[in-house]
Amino acid sequence: MKVLIVEDEKTLAYEMEDFLKKAFYICDLAHTIKDGLEKMESNSYDFILLDLGLPDGDGLSLLPKAKKHNPDAAYIILTARGNLEDRIAGLDLGADDYLPKPFSLLELQSRMQAIARRKFNVKEELLPLGDFQVDLQKRLILFQENQIELSRKEFDLLSYLFLHNNRVLTRMQLSEHIWGTFADDDYDSNYIDAHIKNIRKKLNVWAPADFLETVRGVGYRIRK
Amino acid sequence: MKLSSKLILFITSSKLVVVLLFVFSLPFLVSQIVSEYTNYSLRSQQDKVINVVQKNGIQHYLQGDDSYGSYTMLKEEYIALEPAAKNKHIDTIKTAQRIVERDTLTYRILIHTFNYDQKNYLLEIGKSISSINQYNKTLQKTALYVLMGLIALTLLIDLIFTRILIKPLGKIIKSKLINRKFPFKDYSPPVPTSTQDFKYLDESLILLMDQINEAFEKEREFTANASHELMTPISILQNKMENLLGDENLPESVVLKIIEMMKTLSRLKKISNALLLISRIENQQFVKSAHVKPSVLINEVLEEINHRLLDQEIELKVDLKTDQMLVNVNQDLLFQLFYNLINNAIKYNVYQGSILITDSHTPENGYSIMIQDTGIGIAEEDLDFIFDRFRKANLSENVGYGLGLSIVKSIAQYHDIEILVSSKVKEGTTFTLIFPAK
Repeated sequence: MKVLIVEDEKTLAYEMEDFLKKAFYICDLAHTIKDGLEKMESNSYDFILLDLGLPDGDGLSLLPKAKKHNPDAAYIILTARGNLEDRIAGLDLGADDYLPKPFSLLELQSRMQAIARRKFNVKEELLPLGDFQVDLQKRLILFQENQIELSRKEFDLLSYLFLHNNRVLTRMQLSEHIWGTFADDDYDSNYIDAHIKNIRKKLNVWAPADFLETVRGVGYRIRK
Repeated sequence: MKLSSKLILFITSSKLVVVLLFVFSLPFLVSQIVSEYTNYSLRSQQDKVINVVQKNGIQHYLQGDDSYGSYTMLKEEYIALEPAAKNKHIDTIKTAQRIVERDTLTYRILIHTFNYDQKNYLLEIGKSISSINQYNKTLQKTALYVLMGLIALTLLIDLIFTRILIKPLGKIIKSKLINRKFPFKDYSPPVPTSTQDFKYLDESLILLMDQINEAFEKEREFTANASHELMTPISILQNKMENLLGDENLPESVVLKIIEMMKTLSRLKKISNALLLISRIENQQFVKSAHVKPSVLINEVLEEINHRLLDQEIELKVDLKTDQMLVNVNQDLLFQLFYNLINNAIKYNVYQGSILITDSHTPENGYSIMIQDTGIGIAEEDLDFIFDRFRKANLSENVGYGLGLSIVKSIAQYHDIEILVSSKVKEGTTFTLIFPAK
């Protein structure tokens, strides 16, 4: 998948590029509206990550023109302004999602995947996870034909780890994903342990869930 | 007491004192004046008598008699003339009784001796006291009536004038102080007045409020800008750390250090976010158009926060009887408000404590919701500061970052919700939200 990152803060753009490249995305960078438009004219992208405060104008003004060149791309607005009007204006102009800065790259990637599933109609078969199968779209985890009952938060947790498989996610990253801005790091990280314990219990009934690893002192990882 | 009432009271009572003083001193004054006048008229009569005696000769009056006496028909006045001992010298005015034709009457009498043809004579001129006093009463009455009339007139004028005079002050107080809520956004025009002092007061108040507004505006702007400007560097740091953690070859000690850094960064992020949220609320950047039921909101909060309740085995009871609809509110903000209050009720509770959420609707107080916990409570001396930013009550452990209640306060203010807090250390705290009557 091809991604255009329109972000004037170069260090930030490089970090995003770095991260997305590892997740097998192909990235282009643009630091101004003009630059961004030029790239959009000559290339076709699946994702356009758009910062709003650009040196040569408001990123929002770029959106309608961008849609002309890349009507099928998914647009995600990234901004430090984070106010409601921007969000509404952005979504009105056809953006697919909105992430207020500072955001976690893991969160960005999981949103991109969610959009991809929704927008690009990626015909996702059931994805294997150990002896289990995961359906991210329908939010199901199956063992052969049996559906395993997980609570909403438990599934969120498992799918987040699953999306970022082979990567250790810290308790804080997990609780931030689950409870968003309401997460209270020191406080809620304990509940991650409780949830993981529950998930393991529910999975172990059917088959060993040893793909879900505890990394001592750090967090959890799904090993594939 | 209001200035106008004070002035009215003072003016009225001072006039009353004048009237009373006058009423009490009037008889004395009148009699004093009358007696002065009597003395004066007696003296002038004496001069006239001596003049006519000099002119006509004493024999003209004595006509061979020893003495001369004359009185008016009603015996109100008399004049007597008689020879006196040679060495007798009297010149006095006194009040004494005289028998005039078998009537004993009290007179004011002038007694005067004088020489005529080497002989000493005694002259007596008398005026009856009753004739002297006959005008006293009427005089007093008239004086009293005139005075009362004048006093009433001046009182009226005074009151009208003071009212006109201090009217601008009332206007200043009304337009500048009462009914004005901080921040003073609504423009209040200068109050027209010709009184220099009021003008000065009014101008100073306008100036002061402008200055306060400006300072407040600057602070708000600063908070918004600072927290906003912090977001980009925080983003960079966070993403760099995330990318670092993605490296599987890192030694464990480094990983742990990065995690610690991320935690610290997350704290910084939360503080910035909270400050930004407060300044956005204060800038009225949220639309208040939702209609929500408190029970719905509270259920949403509980869904989000339930795990914390379970962990502490805290019993939470929601007993909303009226379940009033809250109109023209911002749902996200109210969610945050209830979230923060319930979160605090859990955070500062004791193991196996309880939380009770109730509501009430009374005609006088309107609709209110109470959140009551059995937690550690807040010391009385800390109660005034719990809504201040970064101010935490003296707790043994450092919990939270001290902005939760500031956010609550901003949201409440934005919705005109009044918050009452009552607390007892080791017994618990009750937050009461009083919603505005719509």
